[in-house]
Amino acid sequence: MSKLPIPTYRITPWLFLTPLFIMIALAWIGPLFLTVYLGFTDLQLKNFIAFIKDFFTPQVHFTLDNFRRIFLAQDPYIPEVARITMIYVGSVLAINAFFALVLSIAIAYFVKSELISMSLRVSWLLPRITPGIVYALMWNWFVSRDGMFNLLLRLAGIPESWLPSNWLLDKPYSQLLMIIVNGYIGASFGMIVYTAAIKSIPPDLINAALVDGASEFQVARRIIIPLLKWPIMFVTAWQTLSLMASYDVILMVWGAAQGASPSEVLGITKVAGVTVWSLYAYTQAFSQYQYGYAAAISLVLVAIGLGLIVFYFKVFGFRRLMEPSRVEV
Amino acid sequence: MVKVTLDNVSKFFGKVKAVVDLNLEVRDGEFVALLGPSGCGKTTTLLMIAGIYKPTKGRILFDEVDVTDLPPKDRNIGMVFQSYALYPHMTVYDNIAFPLKLKKVPKHEIDKKVKEVAKLLQIDNLLNRKPAQLSGGQQQRVALGRALVKEPDVLLLDEPLSNLDAKLRVMMRAEIKRLQKELKITTIYVTHDQVEAMSMADRIAVMRAGRLQQYAEPEVLYNKPINLFVAGFIGNPPMNFIEGSIKEENGEYYFESEGLKLKLSKDLGELVASKSTDVVLGIRPEHIRVITSGEVDNAIDATVYVIEPLGRDLVINVKVDNTLLKILSTPGLKLEPGQKVKLVFPEEKIHFFDKYTEKAII
Amino acid sequence: MSRLSREELARRKMHARIRTIIKYVIVIVVAVIPLIPVWVMFLWLLAQSFSAKVTFGVIPQVFTLENWKFLWAPFKMGLKEYPNIWPITMNTLFLALGVAALEVLISSMAGYALSRMNFPGRIGLMQFIIALHAFPSVILLIALFIILNKMGLYGKGYMTLLGIIIIKAGLEIPMASWIIKGFFDAIPWDLEWAALVDGCTRWRVWRSVILPLVLPGIGAISIFAFLSGWAEFLLVYTYVVGEEYYTLPVLIYYLIGELKFVNWGMLAAVGLFFTIPTLIFFSTTQKLLLRIYVGGVKR
Repeated sequence: MSKLPIPTYRITPWLFLTPLFIMIALAWIGPLFLTVYLGFTDLQLKNFIAFIKDFFTPQVHFTLDNFRRIFLAQDPYIPEVARITMIYVGSVLAINAFFALVLSIAIAYFVKSELISMSLRVSWLLPRITPGIVYALMWNWFVSRDGMFNLLLRLAGIPESWLPSNWLLDKPYSQLLMIIVNGYIGASFGMIVYTAAIKSIPPDLINAALVDGASEFQVARRIIIPLLKWPIMFVTAWQTLSLMASYDVILMVWGAAQGASPSEVLGITKVAGVTVWSLYAYTQAFSQYQYGYAAAISLVLVAIGLGLIVFYFKVFGFRRLMEPSRVEV
Repeated sequence: MVKVTLDNVSKFFGKVKAVVDLNLEVRDGEFVALLGPSGCGKTTTLLMIAGIYKPTKGRILFDEVDVTDLPPKDRNIGMVFQSYALYPHMTVYDNIAFPLKLKKVPKHEIDKKVKEVAKLLQIDNLLNRKPAQLSGGQQQRVALGRALVKEPDVLLLDEPLSNLDAKLRVMMRAEIKRLQKELKITTIYVTHDQVEAMSMADRIAVMRAGRLQQYAEPEVLYNKPINLFVAGFIGNPPMNFIEGSIKEENGEYYFESEGLKLKLSKDLGELVASKSTDVVLGIRPEHIRVITSGEVDNAIDATVYVIEPLGRDLVINVKVDNTLLKILSTPGLKLEPGQKVKLVFPEEKIHFFDKYTEKAII
Repeated sequence: MSRLSREELARRKMHARIRTIIKYVIVIVVAVIPLIPVWVMFLWLLAQSFSAKVTFGVIPQVFTLENWKFLWAPFKMGLKEYPNIWPITMNTLFLALGVAALEVLISSMAGYALSRMNFPGRIGLMQFIIALHAFPSVILLIALFIILNKMGLYGKGYMTLLGIIIIKAGLEIPMASWIIKGFFDAIPWDLEWAALVDGCTRWRVWRSVILPLVLPGIGAISIFAFLSGWAEFLLVYTYVVGEEYYTLPVLIYYLIGELKFVNWGMLAAVGLFFTIPTLIFFSTTQKLLLRIYVGGVKR
């Protein structure tokens, strides 16, 4: 029965956490600092080898040019990218947060049969759980000339003349397709959060409203939606961050259509008008080999993201951000 | 077996003071109950004795050894939790054997001891089951078995009976008490049920808001509660309280309240008046006498409000002016709501408390 | 209470019926019609992969296994000829298993500490993990490319894949720890205390009592980690040089560009082949995976 100099209960947590810290340092913190550094350099293909040998080689210069190119629009494509990104984030967000709300009320409240409700939910989840590349493959078939999309649209009564010759490349259509393709994946996020929240509303509350004379629509409008205030804000907040950073589905659908290697991606997405901000950063690095510039472009996203998350912590508080599906009665 | 001493122990969780300056001594082989309403710090105290919480201040001694910084495994304690905390993935046998396995006791010895304990607790036919297949009472026995098998120096029980139904609870109460006396283990028992504490414990520590109120034998708590809180907490139905003041008229002392005037003997009156004149009178329901007819000296007029027959007992609720009093009586008394009666308070059963400090005057 | 007249009663019944109809119209318009493309796409994948010809995209005509020849026969992608699909499948498996092993080991330790231990900065660490969501993965991709080059792991075949395993696990571990923390949170403290009183050290509690109880959760996390490694596209696409080190997603990516219009049948078959593990796991552990897909996926 001796007293240890440092009690073990002080050390043990750190032993459990060390591997986590190592991985975070390796995959997040290190790259983050490196990106900040890169953003202020003119690193590109021609001085890349020297840089790899020595991170402080004189061949790589400190410069603010990257940010000048972005903010003073010296890169003529930047305003276009910004516009596409805003349309993309705004539209998909609307699907994720608001369409998903109607969807969840329909599935979780209007449909009373648990079996039907369950199968609809699983169907809506399919786009999310299908591996991205298979999802891209299916869309490539679906919108192709001999595919089903045009056929279904014609069946729905859309006149032939409204349809594009190529969904992937004809401009407003390709951008619409970008929103649809991502919307299907995003809708299920909101759906799951909202459904959990709807299910956590005490049934007595809904029954009381029904007894008081409310119709089911009124229950949805006066009881369910007001109670879902926090989940709606959470989905909006969280998905804004996710959408700003996401480009992988676009890359897979449009890149696979041409079998484009990383160096060829930019050309295609430019034609299709689907170059969102993070995809532009990616292509600047891996299609144009402008590593410094690409880092600077992505740093803009980091700044916005950090600003937003600080804002969220303030508005929501930590607790609420963690328990999005909790309903506050 | 050991003596457990808590020396000025405090536990704060941030700003919340769960336990404040607690001094408590549990004698070797004694059965002590920690009694108090929920949130009074009794479970926190128990967890500190177990070594799961470290006290913010103060020391905990087992005999003369300071165990404050020892982890639970080095304290040789057994503990039964309110939820029983049986390991759901182990069989009953493995649950009971677990503490011995950790002590690296040889296999055949583990087997012997587990079977012994199982027999003692009459669960030897359940050894191959999983906890989920047991009833509440059986789970309780397993938890007790797991705590006892390692032959602990101290046995800690955290509301072990609160999840059982009423009938089983009464049975287990007796059984735990018998076991404790038989094995002579120093035992600390946390409960919010005063009947449990009164019927089982050698001594009871009444706690409130993290502070110890009174630490004494059950009879003392009942007969000489130290303050209003203890007086109200012990006994069922609880003690009646009447706020009022002590008045002196022509050398006679009276207790006066709305609609009530009670003459006190000179000794008592002087004693109380010397301490305080704003007082609270306390009298237990079982000590009030009800008179339905005839004249009695120094009686109080009351109206019957409602009657609750409980079979063996009869609880009569009466109103004295606007104060509701409960009276415990034997059945047989024929009373109707609204009926006028007279009450007699035997003076030797009356308690007086200071209205402001809430401390007992007598 | 006033009695309703017969006409009034009929009118109200009528209204109720109309409301019910409107309700189901909403359900169909909002929840069912948009699903038609999804169902059509999956039906196509099934129909096309097993038939030589499909009409209207989803009606199979002639049953054939021709499309599945890649399982045993050589096929070409660009200039590269593969003996069959198994070497690439093995690469994918290697990646997925590596990611799963690393992720589960590290995040179950960290999740336990986050859920059950007191240490200075605990809340801060949790906030930090959530805040990581604000960093777009593209910034990491560029910097990690430099780091892989610096470490000499770029274009080095299996070493590159190993690097990708570490990166992929590293990117997912914070969120995985967070989710596992949730599983640990669900275990009552009483159990842990009981084990401590019974004589366990903290390590022993974790190993003998807690871990067996969170095993279902850990299982779900491993499946999730496996599937996300299995489906990983970007890292392999960006970092791996040399067709023999590709994983299935990248192989499919290039096959789409090459074979669309030419051989939808083989594309569908490869796609289905690749989706099988996902579908199996999802249909068996749906509930738990659901929880993870929401918390864990980056989008």
